[in-house]
Amino acid sequence: MSEVREPAFDRIVALVLRVGAFSCFFIMLAGLMIGLFLHGNISKEIERAGVLLMLATPVVRVAVAGVLFLREKDWKYGAISFGVLAILLLGAVFGIGEH
Amino acid sequence: MLSALLVLLGFFAGMLGALPGIGGGVLLTPILALHFGIPIRQAIGTSLVAVITTSAASSSVHLQRHTTDIRLGMTLELATAFGAAVTAYLVGYFNRNVLEGLFAAFLLYSSIIILMRGGKVKSHEPPTTDTNGETVIPHYEPKRYPLGLAASLVAGGLSGLLGIGGGPIKVPVMFIFMNVPLMVATATSNFMIGVTAAASAIVYYRRGDILVELAAPLAVGVFLGSLLGARLAPRVKTKYVVYLLVGIMLYLAGHLIVHLMQGGSA
Repeated sequence: MSEVREPAFDRIVALVLRVGAFSCFFIMLAGLMIGLFLHGNISKEIERAGVLLMLATPVVRVAVAGVLFLREKDWKYGAISFGVLAILLLGAVFGIGEH
Repeated sequence: MLSALLVLLGFFAGMLGALPGIGGGVLLTPILALHFGIPIRQAIGTSLVAVITTSAASSSVHLQRHTTDIRLGMTLELATAFGAAVTAYLVGYFNRNVLEGLFAAFLLYSSIIILMRGGKVKSHEPPTTDTNGETVIPHYEPKRYPLGLAASLVAGGLSGLLGIGGGPIKVPVMFIFMNVPLMVATATSNFMIGVTAAASAIVYYRRGDILVELAAPLAVGVFLGSLLGARLAPRVKTKYVVYLLVGIMLYLAGHLIVHLMQGGSA
């Protein structure tokens, strides 16, 4: 790649995405199934948990990659990762917006 | 039964999108808005959740093939995430007709890009494998970062405004201008889409523009569809998938344009 290939790095980042996507899938699926049998808010709240976990997965991926870069003493890309993380978190803080 | 329909819709959008590596979001926003009667802003927010799901599922597959340039992706994400967060915040200032017009234009542009690329990914650059069966990528050095960052800002901005991934902008820019092999450009674009979409989806969620009861079935379908699509991609004749995808995109663009000419809104 642009520098040295690091299979372990790729594998860890892939694992974060995979765990996030798979857990969201099962949580949302559980919400849908429960919605088939029970009326009320339980299924919707479970689905909401799945959606929130999905939104959090890329954020965690950026943080993990940032830590991995820092551990490799790759300060430049560590800083870039935490810059991306800051943008994501600022959206969560200031993202209320009106209409 | 709405949920079942949405699971099915997500499944096909996810699979069609993952095959040529485009991402299904470009189909979901207009289908939700035009055929499910969802207000455009909620359609965008809801589609973003599916876009993140596609990216996470398919990019974990790409990462394991070691075709993703994480450093390049992370650098360009500075621009895409910023652009996406800003337009997600500003979307309230755009009226529905402007958004639909932009979307129709983006669909037409994407159709041209996809057709030009056709199924060339494989014939153009046969992915050579070494003795361990690992994909070997020719050495390259990304060039013209300022141009790449500027294009990423635009791609991110459109992502936050339209609920799409923006692959049809990022892939050609990385491939043509930044000297990145097409295989790597596709995987890296896919990788970036999750973070880009999350930057705007967080803003949409805070504003109440993500309809959880629609996003969940859609994401379930998209997850299954894009996992299957990413696994099938190296084996399937992409040509036919491309024609099908472009056909649907042109239909949606036409539908949006007709809707606008009839006076828009509603």
